[in-house]
Amino acid sequence: MRFLISLIALLIASAALAQDAPQAGSAERGAATFKKYMCYTCHGTVGQGADRGTGPKLTPPPPPYPAFVLQVRTPRLDMPAYRKDFVSDQELADIYAYLSSIRASAATKDIPLLRFEP
Amino acid sequence: MAKDSFDRRAFLKGAAATAAAVIGTQVAAVNTPAEGAESSSNGREALPPSRDKVIGRPGSDFMVDVIKATGIDYIASNPGSSFRSLQESIINYGGNKKPEFLTCMHEESSVAMAHGYAKAAGKPMGIIAHGTVGLQHATMAVYNAWCDRVPIMMFAGNFLDADKRRPGVEWYHCVQDPAAIHRDFTKWDDQPVSLQHFAESVMRAYKIATTPPMGPVLITADGDLAEEAVHDEKKLRMPKLTVSIPPQGDSGAVAEAAKMLVAAQAPVVIADRACRSQEGMKRLVELAEALNAPVVDIGGRMNFPTTHYLNRSSDRRQLIGQADVVLLLEVADPWGQFNSISDPHHEYRRLSKPDVKLIHISLGDTLTKSNYQDMQRFMPVDLPISGDAQATFPALIEAVKSAAGMSERSTISARATKLREDYRRMKDRARQEASIGWDVSPCSTARTSAHLWNTIKNEKWCVAVSGMQWNRNLWSATEYYNFIGGSGGSGVGYGAPAAVGAALANRDKGIVTVSIGGDGDLMYAPGVLWTAAHHKIPILMIIHNNRAYHQEVMHLQKMASLHNRRMDTAAIGTTIENPNIDFAKLAQSLGLHGEGPISDPNAIGPALSRALAVVKRGEPALVDIVSQGR
Repeated sequence: MRFLISLIALLIASAALAQDAPQAGSAERGAATFKKYMCYTCHGTVGQGADRGTGPKLTPPPPPYPAFVLQVRTPRLDMPAYRKDFVSDQELADIYAYLSSIRASAATKDIPLLRFEP
Repeated sequence: MAKDSFDRRAFLKGAAATAAAVIGTQVAAVNTPAEGAESSSNGREALPPSRDKVIGRPGSDFMVDVIKATGIDYIASNPGSSFRSLQESIINYGGNKKPEFLTCMHEESSVAMAHGYAKAAGKPMGIIAHGTVGLQHATMAVYNAWCDRVPIMMFAGNFLDADKRRPGVEWYHCVQDPAAIHRDFTKWDDQPVSLQHFAESVMRAYKIATTPPMGPVLITADGDLAEEAVHDEKKLRMPKLTVSIPPQGDSGAVAEAAKMLVAAQAPVVIADRACRSQEGMKRLVELAEALNAPVVDIGGRMNFPTTHYLNRSSDRRQLIGQADVVLLLEVADPWGQFNSISDPHHEYRRLSKPDVKLIHISLGDTLTKSNYQDMQRFMPVDLPISGDAQATFPALIEAVKSAAGMSERSTISARATKLREDYRRMKDRARQEASIGWDVSPCSTARTSAHLWNTIKNEKWCVAVSGMQWNRNLWSATEYYNFIGGSGGSGVGYGAPAAVGAALANRDKGIVTVSIGGDGDLMYAPGVLWTAAHHKIPILMIIHNNRAYHQEVMHLQKMASLHNRRMDTAAIGTTIENPNIDFAKLAQSLGLHGEGPISDPNAIGPALSRALAVVKRGEPALVDIVSQGR
């Protein structure tokens, strides 16, 4: 039930607060912005997430843009809020473009070092 | 510096007999007591200085006999004049064997080495420190050992008798109550005033330190007692060393716990500092299998094989949410297993069902002090059993078997299929998560972990220190010596010296010791690298070099957000860049094989192979890997 309420709230807020599609962003600028705000400390330099659950995986694929904006502006759980006064909409769009540009890693089965069995 | 000036003065004093003509005025000044100090406080006439005085059997020799009788193999120390006689006796009288004097470059390193050693060796080692400045340096590491419930035999030098102290530095380095600064986080201390007193207190201290819940103890070896001759040795008695049998939980309470666990539909076991040996792990496996209960190994010690289908350490939250009965085994923070508080808004969240029944087998309540808050938040428990977890396993296993009738056994057995599937899913998930960012630079921690496993998987291995979970999630760990837990108090600076201490314990067992330590952690006291090289302690140290105190970055970001201020300043005060530290060169300068900085993930494997070859020759090696934050 709690999950359902959260989901409904997320959808309503998404519609109210954010654009459905990102404004034009630059992946190159986004990479620099991702670094500038040190997003990588929790989410990894390519949005892969971090050990011990300190930051979830962001991509690929990134979440829908409205959900991305909502989480950055009014985050759930331990993430700090990045408000418009200090991180502009354009910067968010750039970060999103960067996250969207990141390609998936090789599949687990294709990485010999991860084939070991317990 | 102070130590230098003190020694120089002593040197001048000793040189006086042969060089009086040259430095006549200086010698005269040194040897002339100040007015008013002509007689001692008890009215004795001061004796003229004797040039040929020899003490063939100083008290410190007897102290060494006592220390040897405890079976301590090593004493780590940064040298200090307040225990100079004891140091000399360890080396010349004791032959510098059992105990061997280990040269350390910081008292925090001495204690952290002893911390790691005790967990790997299964017995304490010693440290010696100045009664004031040395013990002050040691405090953080002692607190870690206290929180981690690890025994350490600490000795301190001190000159209690003010009448015999030399002026100047010796007064700065003497203290009325040496243990006061440590008393909040040591189990016991004493300042013996006779050699017999010393002998009995050392044996008592060893017994107290090694009785669960274990902890550091501190004995002051008085400098005068050490330097003066043994009087009437025939009257001295060496007490027999005895160690306590760990207490088993009350049999009635154990039977009640068994009934609750057998009747549970979704029992879960959480183990923290539960096991002390391979036997303990074996018993815990037996208990978990008798219940078909998944086990969450928090990792304070190596409690449960990672290869066993009941090891579900990565699924803690999910399991806690479903559990109806949870058996906690020496869990340091029970409240934190069932509740969370968000940061920085302090929103409370319960993770478990409200009617979950809790059983806790622990001796935690028997070793609690008031000042430092390592006791964690109070957690009401339905059945608290005061006892040592490992000592209680046999009785609990028997009670579970007795409590389970045909029907219960059938129910318990039926859980196996799903539990095996859930275990497989957990392992697959870990591998999938490890693949993300596989080729990225800075290198992913998962990739470092996978390369390290590939390097040491055919050895007997021990991960002495690691801040990353990948090792437990990905590797096959079945032996008690594989993992030895964390720092206890999360005091930074533990990693490198504790790993060297563990490597010392593992050296003679043919166990390859590795560590994955932080760059910030190593820089607290990098001199321990020299100690490893000097004493030929083989260890493969990986530096997880993320060039920052990463955990602190988000704290600053949270505060900036909370205060509605700019968010791009979190690097100030948290990053370790400009200049970047070259850890390979640092290691090389201290006598180690050093490689790095490695930024290309494809270079990790070959570097680790070369480092392992060095380690197998009996020497330490360091590999600096420029890494993702976590």
